Amino acid sequence: MSEREPLCHDQDVLGKPGAGAEGFALISRVQDWASRNTVPLNASIEITLRCNIRCLHCYNFDRDEPRAACDKPELGTDEILRVIEELRAAGCLFLMLTGGEVLSHPDLFRFLDRARELNLAVQLLTNGTMLRPGVAARLASYENLQGASVSLYGATPEVHDAITQMPGSWRRTWDGVERLRHLGVVVRLKFIVMKQNAHEVAAMRAQADDRGYPYMIDLTITSRHDGSTGSLATRVDRAQLEALYRGPLGDLAVTRVRSTEDNFPCNCARGNVAITATGDVLPCVSVPWTAGNVREQPFAEIWARSPVFERIRGLRIADYEHCAPCDHRDYCKRNRGAAVTASGSYTGIDPFVCATAELAHQLADERAAEEATPRAAESPVRARLAVVR
Amino acid sequence: MTNESKPTSWQRDPALPFQRMDEEAIVVDPRTREVHLLNETGARIWELLATAASLDELVATLADEYEGAAPEALRAEVEAFVAELGGKGLLAARGRA
Repeated sequence: MSEREPLCHDQDVLGKPGAGAEGFALISRVQDWASRNTVPLNASIEITLRCNIRCLHCYNFDRDEPRAACDKPELGTDEILRVIEELRAAGCLFLMLTGGEVLSHPDLFRFLDRARELNLAVQLLTNGTMLRPGVAARLASYENLQGASVSLYGATPEVHDAITQMPGSWRRTWDGVERLRHLGVVVRLKFIVMKQNAHEVAAMRAQADDRGYPYMIDLTITSRHDGSTGSLATRVDRAQLEALYRGPLGDLAVTRVRSTEDNFPCNCARGNVAITATGDVLPCVSVPWTAGNVREQPFAEIWARSPVFERIRGLRIADYEHCAPCDHRDYCKRNRGAAVTASGSYTGIDPFVCATAELAHQLADERAAEEATPRAAESPVRARLAVVR
Repeated sequence: MTNESKPTSWQRDPALPFQRMDEEAIVVDPRTREVHLLNETGARIWELLATAASLDELVATLADEYEGAAPEALRAEVEAFVAELGGKGLLAARGRA
């Protein structure tokens, strides 16, 4: 599976908090420390691009087409093991293994072994369809496994399976999810909302709530890293977005954060880093802007001296020429990955993200106006009836 | 009184994720979903517990490093801290008296 699991707060993700206030405050403090000191506390490694499903929206490459001949070979097992060591030496604590489908890698457990030896907390991002009993039991034996994030694309097999293009995948994913949780592993669901499943958002949320799973909702669909844009056809349009924000996502739609020089930059290249399946080092799993390659240079050197990372770390609000004067910026998720894929520039924009911010701002204003409007006094009769009920 | 004997040495759980943060340290326990922040002294003890250590060994090392610490107070502090780590399940089972 190939969605990005955002590591930073400012991705276009609508989340349900899972941690208690105290734990959340502590984690925020740790993340702030990493960001201030540019320690790559959160790293992700795409251990393979292989996947057993062919999602319409996949950001890796068009899975209905053969891989581009110019593609670099994927990192080998020993190279990935070395990268894990290099990341740990640089200060990584939270390691996410992603793909492709992580469970399709024959040496996944060697990576988990090494991560355990190095005291790394590991998250897996998986589509869950390969979580057979033996695999799930083995995963559950890792004391350092923080959990698994499992993507779901619908409340019904028909909708989900049409997106993965794999009949039976919805059932297999849920079987895997339940199996893993039964073994004590924290499983968080990730709902990717797109044209094909927007009508099931309320049902997807209800399903997760009924079964007691934490979840996050992501509307981010970008063009692919191979340059193809077919994935964008799955993105909800403006009308669908508004229907969602006024309907089943209404409680999560509006977040206002006053922009400051401290909070405007995201954690890209500060506390976050990502390694692709071919060894490219990115500021974040979402942002296809290559800072170097671990085959050509030690990770620490790329992290410390890459001009790409230096540029990102030096940005001020004024450098974001579209965002700096924007009236909606305090309501914006500022998704840098979407900006880079849409505009080719880290400081550019993705019109979809802009539309989302504008809508959130509009909703915030409407709600404020509604709250400010004095309510008409209820008639005594109606009040009495209400009491009787 | 319980029949349970007191441990004679301790070692941190070798599988638990942790990271130094300047003087402090953060320890993550995915099993309980808890994150623990250790202050400077706690972080140093965590470091020492990479290998099994007795209370006497811990106190002796820390007494050398923290000049002026009263030995009895130091011993009581270390014992309480290690007990707290044990109570939170952050230590591996070690030898008992």
